[in-house]
Amino acid sequence: MTTNNAAGLTLSRRQLLKRGAAFGLGASALGLAPAWADPWGQSNAYPQGAVEGNDIALAIRRETLEINGRSARPITINGTSPGPMIRLREGQDATLRVTNLLDEPTSIHWHGLILPAQVDGAPGISFAGIDPGETFVYRFPVVQHGTYWYHSHSGLQEQLGHAGPIVIDAAEREPFRYDREHVVMLTDWTYEEPASVFRNLKSAEGYYNLQERTVADFLAEVRENGFRETARTRAMWARMRMSSRDIADVTASTYTYLVNGQAPEQNWTALFKPGERLRLRFINGSAMTYFDVRIPGLKMTVVAADGQPVQPVPVDEFRIAVAETYDVIVMPEADTAYTVFAETMDRSGFARATLAPRLGMQAELPERRRIADRGMEAMGAHDMDHAGMEDMDHSRMEGMDHAGMEGMDHSRMEGMDHSRMEGMDHAGMEGMDHSQMEGMDHSRMEGMDHSRMEGMDHSRMEGMDHAEGQRAASPANAQGDLLPAGTAQPGSQYDQAGIGIDPDERRILVYRDLKAFRPWPDRRGPEREMEIHLTGNMERYMWSFDGRTFSQVDGPLHFRKDERLRLILVNDTMMEHPIHLHGMWMELENGAGELIPRKHTINVKPGERVSALITADAEGSWAFHCHLLYHMDAGMFRVVKVS
Amino acid sequence: MRTSTWVVLGACWPALALAATEQESGAASPDRTITFEASEMMYDPEALAIQAGETVRFEIHNSGALEHEFVIGDAAAQEEHRRMMQEMEGHDHEHGDHGGHDMAEGEHGGSMPAVTVAPGETATLEWTAPRGVSRLEYACNIPGHYEAGMSGEITLQE
Repeated sequence: MTTNNAAGLTLSRRQLLKRGAAFGLGASALGLAPAWADPWGQSNAYPQGAVEGNDIALAIRRETLEINGRSARPITINGTSPGPMIRLREGQDATLRVTNLLDEPTSIHWHGLILPAQVDGAPGISFAGIDPGETFVYRFPVVQHGTYWYHSHSGLQEQLGHAGPIVIDAAEREPFRYDREHVVMLTDWTYEEPASVFRNLKSAEGYYNLQERTVADFLAEVRENGFRETARTRAMWARMRMSSRDIADVTASTYTYLVNGQAPEQNWTALFKPGERLRLRFINGSAMTYFDVRIPGLKMTVVAADGQPVQPVPVDEFRIAVAETYDVIVMPEADTAYTVFAETMDRSGFARATLAPRLGMQAELPERRRIADRGMEAMGAHDMDHAGMEDMDHSRMEGMDHAGMEGMDHSRMEGMDHSRMEGMDHAGMEGMDHSQMEGMDHSRMEGMDHSRMEGMDHSRMEGMDHAEGQRAASPANAQGDLLPAGTAQPGSQYDQAGIGIDPDERRILVYRDLKAFRPWPDRRGPEREMEIHLTGNMERYMWSFDGRTFSQVDGPLHFRKDERLRLILVNDTMMEHPIHLHGMWMELENGAGELIPRKHTINVKPGERVSALITADAEGSWAFHCHLLYHMDAGMFRVVKVS
Repeated sequence: MRTSTWVVLGACWPALALAATEQESGAASPDRTITFEASEMMYDPEALAIQAGETVRFEIHNSGALEHEFVIGDAAAQEEHRRMMQEMEGHDHEHGDHGGHDMAEGEHGGSMPAVTVAPGETATLEWTAPRGVSRLEYACNIPGHYEAGMSGEITLQE
């Protein structure tokens, strides 16, 4: 069994430069290109091999290979799964010839690349797909640089390892320096057929969740929280027909988590020389798995997100949603090994690699964290036990968004004044009971949307304290003005990393940290807003936008050519969704004003409301979907037409 | 061109403080001027060789989009400075509001010569290289900047 594929080390260019510069000479005086211009020869950058140049051929096959020492049937690209790194250069014209040697149609989508619609690679949207035996030639100019990836956009093929990294070298100097680089591609492999995984999810929601609470858990919780509290929390989850431990649909009960195709026991090892700056290009090429990544003993300085440079942020840990990429710089000073630890968000498993000065070294595995529990705060609403609150004045609460507040108990609320609550959106509040609310004045509540509030229990609501509601200020006031560009939406949680993360334990990257160096070219504010709700039915494993699956919608979403649009995403479900738009950047309005970062994939936490500015300059039809593979397949998918 | 004033930083290396005193009293005039470029995220040049005892005038131009520092000190002092600055920003997760950071005398009682340069501006710093030390670093310790590339090595020759 092969365990380590890392190649040997060579003297880095940086070392040479240092020697030259010691005599007072700058890099230019040596007649060498600066280090950024030529990262070649620094790498064992990626162990599955690399293809480069102006004409690249990729052959897609289904074949028998070993994965973690066990016979598997992945889809391979040029013989490996995940496939080779495709290395391009900003400014070149890329030609990629993809030959389908499967017995079914296939495709490759170049995730995050800005290119013409007909070479985007989403079958049925912008091209017909690639039939068995055929070769499709993708030709496009490379107009960006950074870390990206590619994957099949046909059916569930991506789950079979039909994916790989894309690295595009910059035409100009990047805003950071490094001596050596490594690609760290995270994937989730299952020996099951993907169609069977999907069938299992359809037949029994929670099929892969072996972390249901036990009687022992219950008793422990009673000791901690008291019987009443525990019973009530349980009843809430029961009403929602889901377990608070459904953090992920598909878990380590079927998945083996891989780094560059290697399982934790295989321990893929990346080499460094002490004192070097290493650039690690993290790609989450998983079908369904979010990871929390850390390297105990090393600060990681995030320098790019989704391929785009960001102002550097030193962190101890970052959460990487499915399809996101993060580039980090680490500086291992000591002659010792470090563990790259990528724990799954649901804590059911982990992927692991090692950074070491020599092969064969390894560091301790950090202690695994306990299983995360979806508390109420995970639903975008804080302190939702409002019992015993009397005589509240809710006047002048405008534009509140109560989406995603499910299973609230508002019993015993008496004497409330709800006058002048305008523009509230109470969509997605299910299972609430408003019995026994006495003496409430709900006059002058205009424009409220109380759709989809089913079975709510608001009984016994006395003296509510909605101070938290302050953050839910008007997203668009009565006059219809839009928030200024770059402003964080009320209901966003950009300063929170999400479920299962203790922000006091260590410094965790949050979306609020991401800042561009300079404003993006289109400085216009939004001309209009488009609000899309992320919706789902856990029990039937139906996932959708605005309550309708892809098969239920009539036509595409329409972006007007060249308009500046604000896309608002409201997550009415209990799960994270990584939302991906093809063909155009989404400038994530994380509160950074003119310096908002741009992304190809935005993670939306349960109950959260986020927004992005989009310049609709890419004519044609584009896919827009949740990047959790089985959610996409279940219907969380739309076509966006720009015309 | 705007000339910046000294910022005294906590550090563990008293010889530099001595050098600073010489500067201020005007006892030393620069033996040479070294022009520096600071940008995202690097200095040009990336390394320097200086004679011990030599007085150098640095002209640091910030051609980038963000504020940058130019701090001279040994590796340990730089690391301490970095740690402090990350702690300062740690609570509100804010970057870039570091201007005028209040780095009074450190527990070691020494100081590190430093200037902060706004984007588009040029600052100068005069410094006499100490004796008895073979290696120093120059660095920008605004959180993330050092890690992303803003450091260089000074080799001191006796």
